[in-house]
Amino acid sequence: MLTPETKIAIYRMMYLAQQWEMQLLRFLDDGQVSGFYHAGRGHEALEVASMMAVRTDDYLLYDHRGCAHMIAKGMSMVELYGDFLGNDKGSTTGLGAGIVHIADPAHGVLGQSGTLGGGHVLAAGAALSIKIRKTDQVAVNFFGDGAANRGTFHEGANVAGAWKLPMIYILQNNGWAISTPQARVTAVEHFSERAAGYGMVGVTIDGMDPWLVYETMAEAVERARTGGGATLIEGMVNRQRGHYEGDPMTYRPDEEIAAAKALDPVPATRQRLVDEGVLDDGALTELETEVLAEVQAAAAEAQTGTLPGRERLDQGVYA
Amino acid sequence: MSTTSPVAPATGQAPVRRISYSRAINEAMAEEMERDERVFVMGQDVGAFGGVFGLTRNLYKRFGADRVIDTPISETFLVGGGVGAALTGLRPIVELQYADFLWNAGDEVIGKMSKWRYMHGSLFTVPMVLRLPEGAAGGAGPEHSTCPEAALLPATGTYIVIPSTPYDAKGLLKSAIRDDNPVAFFEHKGMYGLKGEVPEEEYTIPLGQADIKRAGSDVTVIAWGRLVHRALEAAELAAAEGIDVEVLDPRGLRPLDVEAITRTIEKTGRVVITHEAGRTGGAGAEIAAIIAETCLTSLEAPIRRVCGIETPIPQSLHLEQFIIPTADDLFQAIKETAAF
Ligand SMILES: Cc1ncc(C[n+]2csc(CCOP(=O)(O)OP(=O)(O)O)c2C)c(N)n1
Ligand SMILES: [Mg+2]
Repeated sequence: MLTPETKIAIYRMMYLAQQWEMQLLRFLDDGQVSGFYHAGRGHEALEVASMMAVRTDDYLLYDHRGCAHMIAKGMSMVELYGDFLGNDKGSTTGLGAGIVHIADPAHGVLGQSGTLGGGHVLAAGAALSIKIRKTDQVAVNFFGDGAANRGTFHEGANVAGAWKLPMIYILQNNGWAISTPQARVTAVEHFSERAAGYGMVGVTIDGMDPWLVYETMAEAVERARTGGGATLIEGMVNRQRGHYEGDPMTYRPDEEIAAAKALDPVPATRQRLVDEGVLDDGALTELETEVLAEVQAAAAEAQTGTLPGRERLDQGVYA
Repeated sequence: MSTTSPVAPATGQAPVRRISYSRAINEAMAEEMERDERVFVMGQDVGAFGGVFGLTRNLYKRFGADRVIDTPISETFLVGGGVGAALTGLRPIVELQYADFLWNAGDEVIGKMSKWRYMHGSLFTVPMVLRLPEGAAGGAGPEHSTCPEAALLPATGTYIVIPSTPYDAKGLLKSAIRDDNPVAFFEHKGMYGLKGEVPEEEYTIPLGQADIKRAGSDVTVIAWGRLVHRALEAAELAAAEGIDVEVLDPRGLRPLDVEAITRTIEKTGRVVITHEAGRTGGAGAEIAAIIAETCLTSLEAPIRRVCGIETPIPQSLHLEQFIIPTADDLFQAIKETAAF
């Protein structure tokens, strides 16, 4: 059940993820970040609230859309910044990571396949491992509407359904795969329709509603933990920014972008807490001040890291 | 093929039992599953049926459906799912029905199995073995008969192991299963019936150690997998003409025993490299390059390669036999190299 404490925790994490990303964008503007970044603005409710409904020892294969899922899973903000800055504060100790390859075994963060859709089968393997080891963990795999069309989804989802694996596929449907709208390349309106074909439960929900996301996820997690098998959750979300930072977004009408921004889940959730009488504006401002200080402290610490030398290259290739 | 391996480890004691290459592989899996409950097998038809080539015979009965898993025809899941299981505390042995199906799981082999550890800051180990029945045998046709070991040469992160005898197969597979790195384990289908000495007692063979299958002083033949046996036959033909051939079996390509290769070249000064896969892009090219880099000045004759024909492998069993280098092809190359 969604207690007021959980609602506050969800909002706090959403706000934190958003502020964490705003600071990352400043690092990007300053030219400190190597590689690309795919901002997650607009996806916070789905990424955060779902991850608040799992345990530390559950497995996460995240996707490239922002970092809110990893932050909510418990990853250190310093390590995340360190990976983008490419220094030894990062989870890969200087190897560099960002939209992919951040990892944190202690929090069940298994990493990401830069080849989209690689996670569909990896996560199914992690879920099979849970079943063989007879623990009550679950494996979660995030992906977009674009990656939903990889053939690996068929192979992963098929075994997840056939063997009733403790697997949760979270599809972040923002309607776009870079410049390609879903309808141009996909017959179904909702990917959740496909779930039945694999013997999975499939649901489409408003991914901008964190309370609904949390409850849907809690139900899927319960099903997975108790042998009820896999679930496909399709969360409808809005991508507020370009596919990557620097994307001219020529393919997207201005009105659509404006509408996406107007539906920002972070202030909407804040307003909901006020409307539901969970927290008043003063208490929320206090919470936000606290979060901002945490983010700034993490950013400052990450910047004290050092870039590795050439010797980093061949470290750890083999166990 | 039911030839008898002329290669047997010297023991000097009571006669050592002789078992087939496939039985040796089966024993290695059974012993390691017994020893470590994290080890499990998955593949198509590996369960009660025992595998299309019989390699997993009796494992299902002994270890049950949770550890001997029949999978759908889903190679990306087999390899990618193996990686997922390996990342989360298990030690999968994944059997592809044919080595040729590596390509079906290309990204899972190259991008996931081989790179996951490194690209995620070495925070994980990927202790899995990918068993790959390879080679031309029995007219399986162009898509079920190749020896694709060279395709994995650029897949840094994955070891490449290729046993040529029952003894090596058992000892190397046990080491591969215990290793914390992913191992691609190539088994030539044409050798599954090959018998050789395999002691009752437990042993392992370290990965990356070449083996001199025949000592000689005039010409070195570097051969692996099934071609080791043809090289040994060729060596006997050469011996009859007074040419003393050394046969070096690297027993795999990574880790590669460069020291052993250098040592034999320094000893003989003449080398023939042979493999069943075609010459272009074959692993022989890499070994030739290494020889040129490390011990070119020890060579007294040009490096010679004797490789499979560069066509798709024909379906016809009759034509298939002409694809693979014969002992006679090798004998000719040895003679010319010795005379150079
Ligand atoms: C197999 C593969 N094909 C193409 C790409 C390049 N690529 C990266 S992100 C992306 C679009 C992904 O769209 P979607 O899955 O909907 O996620 P979103 O970016 O909308 O969050 C593409 C084509 C890739 N990384 N991997
Ligand atoms: Mg998308």
